[in-house]
Amino acid sequence: MSADKEILITGIGVISPVGEGREAYWEALKSGSPNFGEITLFDTSPFMVNVAGEVRGFDPLKYIHKRHLRVLDRSTRFLVAASKLALDDAGLEITEDNTHSIGVSAGTTFGSLHSIAQFDRDGLIEGPKYVNPSFFPNTVINSPASQVSIMHKIKGFNTTISTGFCASLDALIYGADFIRLGRAEVVLAGGVEELCEETFTGFHNLGLLSGLKGGESLCRPYDRGRDGLILSEGAAVLVLESEEHARKRNAHAYARIVSCSNAFCSHGNGLFTNSSGLRKAILQALERASIDPGDIDCVCASANGGVELDRMEAEVINEIFGGKTPVSAIKSIVGDTYSASGAMAVSAVVGEIVQGFIPATINITEPEFEMNLVRTVTHTRITNALIITSDPYGNNTAVIIGGV
Amino acid sequence: MRRVVITGLGVVTSIGIGKEEFWQNLIAGKSGISPVTSFDTSEHFTHLGGEVKGFEKIMNTIDEDSRSRYSRASLLAMIAAKLAVTDSGIDQVEPEGSIGVCYGITTGPIQVIEHINDILLSNGSVSNELACQLPSNSTLAAIGEEVGLTGEGFVLSTACSAGNYAIGYGYDLIRLDRAKIIIASASDAFSRISFTGFNQFKAVAPERCQPFDKNRRGMMVAEGAGVLILEDLEHALQRGANIYAEIVGYGLSCDARHMTSPSIEGIVQCMKKALKEASITPEDIDYISAHGTGTPANDRTECAAIREVFGDRYKEIPVSSIKSMLGHTMGAASAIEAVACTLAIKQGILPPTINYETPDPECDIDCVPNKSRSHEITYALNNSYAFGGNNASVVLKRFDGY
Repeated sequence: MSADKEILITGIGVISPVGEGREAYWEALKSGSPNFGEITLFDTSPFMVNVAGEVRGFDPLKYIHKRHLRVLDRSTRFLVAASKLALDDAGLEITEDNTHSIGVSAGTTFGSLHSIAQFDRDGLIEGPKYVNPSFFPNTVINSPASQVSIMHKIKGFNTTISTGFCASLDALIYGADFIRLGRAEVVLAGGVEELCEETFTGFHNLGLLSGLKGGESLCRPYDRGRDGLILSEGAAVLVLESEEHARKRNAHAYARIVSCSNAFCSHGNGLFTNSSGLRKAILQALERASIDPGDIDCVCASANGGVELDRMEAEVINEIFGGKTPVSAIKSIVGDTYSASGAMAVSAVVGEIVQGFIPATINITEPEFEMNLVRTVTHTRITNALIITSDPYGNNTAVIIGGV
Repeated sequence: MRRVVITGLGVVTSIGIGKEEFWQNLIAGKSGISPVTSFDTSEHFTHLGGEVKGFEKIMNTIDEDSRSRYSRASLLAMIAAKLAVTDSGIDQVEPEGSIGVCYGITTGPIQVIEHINDILLSNGSVSNELACQLPSNSTLAAIGEEVGLTGEGFVLSTACSAGNYAIGYGYDLIRLDRAKIIIASASDAFSRISFTGFNQFKAVAPERCQPFDKNRRGMMVAEGAGVLILEDLEHALQRGANIYAEIVGYGLSCDARHMTSPSIEGIVQCMKKALKEASITPEDIDYISAHGTGTPANDRTECAAIREVFGDRYKEIPVSSIKSMLGHTMGAASAIEAVACTLAIKQGILPPTINYETPDPECDIDCVPNKSRSHEITYALNNSYAFGGNNASVVLKRFDGY
């Protein structure tokens, strides 16, 4: 085991409301073009808000053979498709010879919440003896990740991480650890979350969505007028690869993982917004990278327009970075994909490093905090970018991605 | 590389709460299977399961406010964590370095979803308190109320092998020097969805779980929690901790073939990886805690894989399934089984496979039929498999000094 084994990102696959594939995704971020709209997936008449970031025009047959499609739910289709894009992008072919050194590490907290709830409803309404057993496997949270292994014949390992908003960054940490420990040479690390009535109901009833107090649904991170998030969906997958393995097969590397940190902050009374865990995660990531805050060229924040979360994050960023470092909140464009949001952020940051830009945080009219919030797309060279996520149950994760 | 030892145990199962009661009933071959009370089973094919008895009573040891804030799966984990922490004595010391948590689960939030469905179908309204229990990482907060967590926190959702994934990654985090102590935990609450699904698969036994028996008819859906305190060896020695056993390696593999049907190749790979990481050979294993669900397919496949890995020795190695007694506790199973392995190593006693009557030529292993027996164990292998073909095997070793 080598603790400082270099881990490269050699492939990216994104299925998002703003684009399919890395190029389309990066373009949307560069041009600051969100794609929110009225929800078509389910009836929104019981809700006060009907806007979300749906993945539209997605054709699963481009990625999955017809004969497998019937039982695969929305989450699983997204994750399988994003994995296929990532593998193709990395030019990696999976064979009997290399499959045992390739693994899958996926972040999702709900798997397919809709599949789980629907299976139970079928039992309650039709009677338990009339439930279709072929949908039972979709009720385990690891179903999307496992189908990735089944579809792409990946045998090394297969793990699902469910730490809420931090899940896919934590999945990246897990995958990187497996490469460091010599358990794998390549890991498909990413995350997925689908938009469904059940998840939407939860975010809606907890008062987390923008537009609930009337007015337009608009994601305005760090803005004085912010009133909540816009729920979104999708999957993003990164191909993580040991430098040695990538070199041997002459793979092109986009970026590298500089350092990671997961800091769980125990707080003792359920949901909260406490800054100590996030502060610790960031400082630990910087320390592990042996760099100073001044070496970070841009912070990819997890701010989603939530009143308390954005404030907590802004305070921590200002405290550590002193208001100079550019901060960009891509959820204003992509929306909040919950467990997939960390992988969405990594996919964005890799584009920022490769193409040299920091995406705009859009919809800002009156910034509330003293920080260098990037409001128009900025073209600049990025060597190190910091990605942060924070979950109200106490998880905090920070990852630094660097150029190669 | 740092060594990782087990210094505390906590279990909540249908055959007992706390390591003493659990162990006494385990070696007595007691069954925890009883009529299901969590929901009405009259429309189901079967009616028995492994529910935790006296749950309400043990809840009194937990803050009343917490009881309403967390799901049953979280509360099961919380109780087991409390027991394990007390057992380890880490609540009595100021640990050097951080305490992290790795938690495994399959269907924890599923019971919350079931509850929400009940409310919605009777036109009731869902409280925010209940909705907030949906994310399984809420359990980390619950465990955090019992233990001052200062390190990393992970939730591993790998279905019926989640416990072993949590133990494995906890072991990694200590070896990587990112934690001194890890609360390796797993739990699952009794679930209507699991009960319905496994029944529709015709995988549930009507009366008893009979792993490796020729006439076995399936598993028993159950619930429970298992927690192991994993600790850096040096740290444990320094504070004079009671060391139960050592973890010396683990292996993961994925069948990449089918969501529910097990594969010999995947299981073989998994066991081989675990042995390799522990730097031992098949000759060294003295006991295998089987996944052993009691379904025809699982037990046949597992025995074939054991035959392939252990060759001529496969009939000599005791292989038992404690699921015969407590049922299949899903994500918690391999954590509870790791607790059983730890105690088996420490006590030199093998837990039996109960309800065993008729030998099956396809499962001609020594399943420690019906009665526990004395047996010295240096190395034990803890097997677990899951939906999605997610396999995990952990190697535990007797701790014999530094």
